[in-house]
Amino acid sequence: MRARLNKAWVLFSVWFAHMSAYRAEIIIWMLSGAIPLIMMAVWIGKARAAGGETGGFNEQQFAAYFLAAWITQQLIVAWVAWELDYQIRQGHLSPKLLRPMDPMWEHFAGHYSERLVRLPFMLLIIAAGLFIVPGTRLTPDIGHVMLYAVSVSLAFCTRFLIAYCIGILAFWFDQATAIDDFYFVAAAFLTGAFAPLEFYPPALRGFIEWTPFPYLVYYPVRVLTGAAQGPEIVRVLGVQVLWAAAFYVLRLALWRRGLARYGAVGA
Amino acid sequence: MSARRYFRVLGIFVRASISAQLEYRVNFAVNLFGSVLLAGGTLLGITILYSDGVALGGWSYRESIVVVGLFTLVQGYIGAFLYPNLNKIGEEVRQGTMDFNLLKPVDAQFLISSRNINVFRLTDALVGVGLVVWAASGLEGASGTGALLGVCLIATALMIVYAVWFMLSTTAFWFVKVGNVTELFNGLFRAGQFPVAALPGWVRLMFTFLIPVAFVTTVPAEAIIGRWNVESVLGAGVVALLLLGVSRWFWTYAISKYTSASS
Repeated sequence: MRARLNKAWVLFSVWFAHMSAYRAEIIIWMLSGAIPLIMMAVWIGKARAAGGETGGFNEQQFAAYFLAAWITQQLIVAWVAWELDYQIRQGHLSPKLLRPMDPMWEHFAGHYSERLVRLPFMLLIIAAGLFIVPGTRLTPDIGHVMLYAVSVSLAFCTRFLIAYCIGILAFWFDQATAIDDFYFVAAAFLTGAFAPLEFYPPALRGFIEWTPFPYLVYYPVRVLTGAAQGPEIVRVLGVQVLWAAAFYVLRLALWRRGLARYGAVGA
Repeated sequence: MSARRYFRVLGIFVRASISAQLEYRVNFAVNLFGSVLLAGGTLLGITILYSDGVALGGWSYRESIVVVGLFTLVQGYIGAFLYPNLNKIGEEVRQGTMDFNLLKPVDAQFLISSRNINVFRLTDALVGVGLVVWAASGLEGASGTGALLGVCLIATALMIVYAVWFMLSTTAFWFVKVGNVTELFNGLFRAGQFPVAALPGWVRLMFTFLIPVAFVTTVPAEAIIGRWNVESVLGAGVVALLLLGVSRWFWTYAISKYTSASS
């Protein structure tokens, strides 16, 4: 156990140092994921045009929703599909396989420690958002913040594992990153980063509820803003655990099949 | 060198790019699927925004779709022409191969802006034009003159996008390590999928003057749907020429400071 903790600590501190060196690039990536902030402006414009409220949301509630959506999107970002695709096609995966550790953990440590680099700049944007729309309450109490931390961690694991599964597809064909692009376009409109799901046509919403998408942004946001209470939070966390577990199992199955097929450059 | 020779060189680049990419024909299907997905998602977004029946900043549903079409068209332009060329500047500065561009007997800016064309990303442009034509055909305000003016304004829009993208990529001469600076524009340009009137007060001003997104999609759309005014048309022309001039100056300044990778 001690040895494992030690291993994890070394991985995270090395990757934290690595990511800190790229802080300027990371801030640019953060600003490029501006969809929730742009949508915040558009929906506030709609609320104003409708006389202060539309669909049960007023200006402050839209601000809280989209600020929370932006934070959530920042915290679940995953680019592992691209890294894996590159490593598999270029043969860089081979030396990693010699280590007594699943290569997934190195990617995981990289993604996880990158969140810490994002944090200071994230707080700055939140402060700016709260200042620009006065009277916005992002969260009702510290309890919801802690439950959100659990919920967004599960959302991150799910998104990370989805990206990992997509990256593994590079064992079979060379357009794996295109599939991740498709995921990105679909996620922009189905996770709730574009609009609260209340505004979706009922038939479409009924369908989306059966996919993992709303559990990546929409439901964690409801947990943070306090729109979700007791029983709903329990249900959300339960479903999130199920999705994360499902993709973990899928990842493992794909990984074993893929490795059996792997013939690296020169091998 | 005369303009004719530049056109000849451009023709050679286009032919070379096309023949290099026709080898990967599956990419065409993959890109077309991606374009349809992007346009479908954006349309879904517009539909959701109109679900309460209130017009978005005074723009009807169909009028907004003209904006969506132009947004998709510009995305295709970026993917086909800007990304495969300008985003290589950083890499070339890092490796020192930028020197070879500066030594050739053609204008270096022309060379690094036109060498590669990602033909398959033109699927976005196709889908975008399709959306504009479909949406405009059902609008009363749409006319021949409006369409003609729209085409001219799309040209100024592409100049604006080129100039901004080019300036951002030129910063690579100083910030060699920051390889993704054009994503800044890409992220903020998402606001261009809506008519700028949909944004509240000062955000609208920001996307008109600070980041000229309004001139890229909203102003050409206004011409196409027959709601244009002289001020914004002239404004688009002035902004385009100004940005092209500034970007040219910035580029000359950057290469005058460039000392190559090994020195």
